Amino acid sequence: MPSDTDTLKVTIRKRPLWLWVLAGLWVLLEILFLQTAMASAREGEYRAAAISWIAVGITAAAGVLVGFLQGRSNAPAG
Amino acid sequence: MEGERKQTGRRALLTAAGLIAAGGVPAAISALGGKPSGSRQRAWWVKAVDRPTMGQKTSQFKRFSGDNIFVIYQQLKAQRDGAGSFEAEQAAKAKRLAGWMRQSKPGFRLPDHQLSEGAWTLMKSTEAGSGLLSWTRIAVNTPAELGVARHVASPEEMAKTVKAAARLYGAGLVGIAPMNESYVNLKQGKKDIVFEDAEVPAVTDKKFVIPRRMRWVVSIAIPMDLDLLSRAPTSLGDAATGLGYSHSAFTVASLAEFIRGLGYQAIPSVNDTALSVPFAVEAGIGELSRLNKLVTPEFGPAVRLCKVFTDLPMACDKPVDFGLVEFCKKCKKCAEACPSGALSFDDEPSFKTRGPWNNPGHKAWFEDSYLCFQHWQQVDNGCGICLASCPYTKAAQAWIHDVVKATASVAPAADGLFRIMDNALGYGRQHDPEQWWTRNPPSGARG
Repeated sequence: MPSDTDTLKVTIRKRPLWLWVLAGLWVLLEILFLQTAMASAREGEYRAAAISWIAVGITAAAGVLVGFLQGRSNAPAG
Repeated sequence: MEGERKQTGRRALLTAAGLIAAGGVPAAISALGGKPSGSRQRAWWVKAVDRPTMGQKTSQFKRFSGDNIFVIYQQLKAQRDGAGSFEAEQAAKAKRLAGWMRQSKPGFRLPDHQLSEGAWTLMKSTEAGSGLLSWTRIAVNTPAELGVARHVASPEEMAKTVKAAARLYGAGLVGIAPMNESYVNLKQGKKDIVFEDAEVPAVTDKKFVIPRRMRWVVSIAIPMDLDLLSRAPTSLGDAATGLGYSHSAFTVASLAEFIRGLGYQAIPSVNDTALSVPFAVEAGIGELSRLNKLVTPEFGPAVRLCKVFTDLPMACDKPVDFGLVEFCKKCKKCAEACPSGALSFDDEPSFKTRGPWNNPGHKAWFEDSYLCFQHWQQVDNGCGICLASCPYTKAAQAWIHDVVKATASVAPAADGLFRIMDNALGYGRQHDPEQWWTRNPPSGARG
């Protein structure tokens, strides 16, 4: 239990709209590539499936990287 | 505290992602028109238009002789290479095929060839005006025989009823066009095809009689089996063609009987009697393409066309525009894939025909069917590479195909990029013929 003299500072930063849009697009792209990868295999288009799996991986990695960098830039100084 | 903040942010992001995945994607797909192929409703990017997208000079329309390309090729072959050259070519082809079967050449083994022959069975056992393609009823009871009046409804309701029946009998796509006598052949075999003020269709020793009251045409596209077609040009690829035609014969025969059963006249037709493509264009089944064949938004050119002429009044459909002509101008993949060089590389379509197999009066990328058929003699019954290579020929499993087609229809600037992507992703390349027999189940990707 904090004492009456202690202060607790809570900072809530609102993410800008463009970041939400970007995140939404990223999710849509991931789902699209994933669906293409799985469906292409069913279609017998194995090259398309392989390339789509690579796209899934690259998009996922890019998303994670951007998320990580965004998290760091939002971190309070010090 | 900082860790908790970050955790909250991640949770929010994941929640948002979940919401988007749960609601956004289906909505986006729906908005893009990602409906199952053969759906009753066309995607939003398939727009109805007043005139076919290729230009027409209706004054130049004339009825086609009715000589199919086999007859024309045989005559031209004799003219160009001398009498007996066609027969010699056929003998060489038979010998070559037998050799491939003995060597178990993939795609041309005995089981491959006989799979194709089996697929052709129904089509090869039909003849215009008789049997399955009878111009009069086969077995159905008429309303009079059943003691009821013939079915009457508004043209719109009639169109819906007939389209529902056609879909049940196997139509992937169905549309209604007005009869146009210019699209009906002059002859069928050695008999004339004539229009008369008759009540019922008739087939006599000398002529086929189409009553002038038959003013509606039900145009139907039967999807081909892509799993087989992707093995073209082999006997397996040819099985896709044979199966498409056999399904066509069944579909039009069944639909004709259904219409007769409602109390009207019906003439079923596959490749006989009239040109299928112009009726299909006017019925909104698809657009004319660089192949000088119909390309549909749902199945690409991998369809077989057939039709039923009738006096049952129905509301007609309109031609469609889904950006195909602009796409074909830039793509040219079929022309590059064609081993015989039969397809045009011209940037723009024109009115200039290339031989007696073409019919004048409309713009097209006219093909050299002589070269095409010459190549057919080097494989089994047919080729099919152009159909398999078209970027619009896609199994309807991956959503991305609908996204690409929708984008191409509204943003032709992206057409070149889509062509590059199509190649990079390996579409249109021949699939391993051997592998077809081990597919589980060994049937079409369209199911």
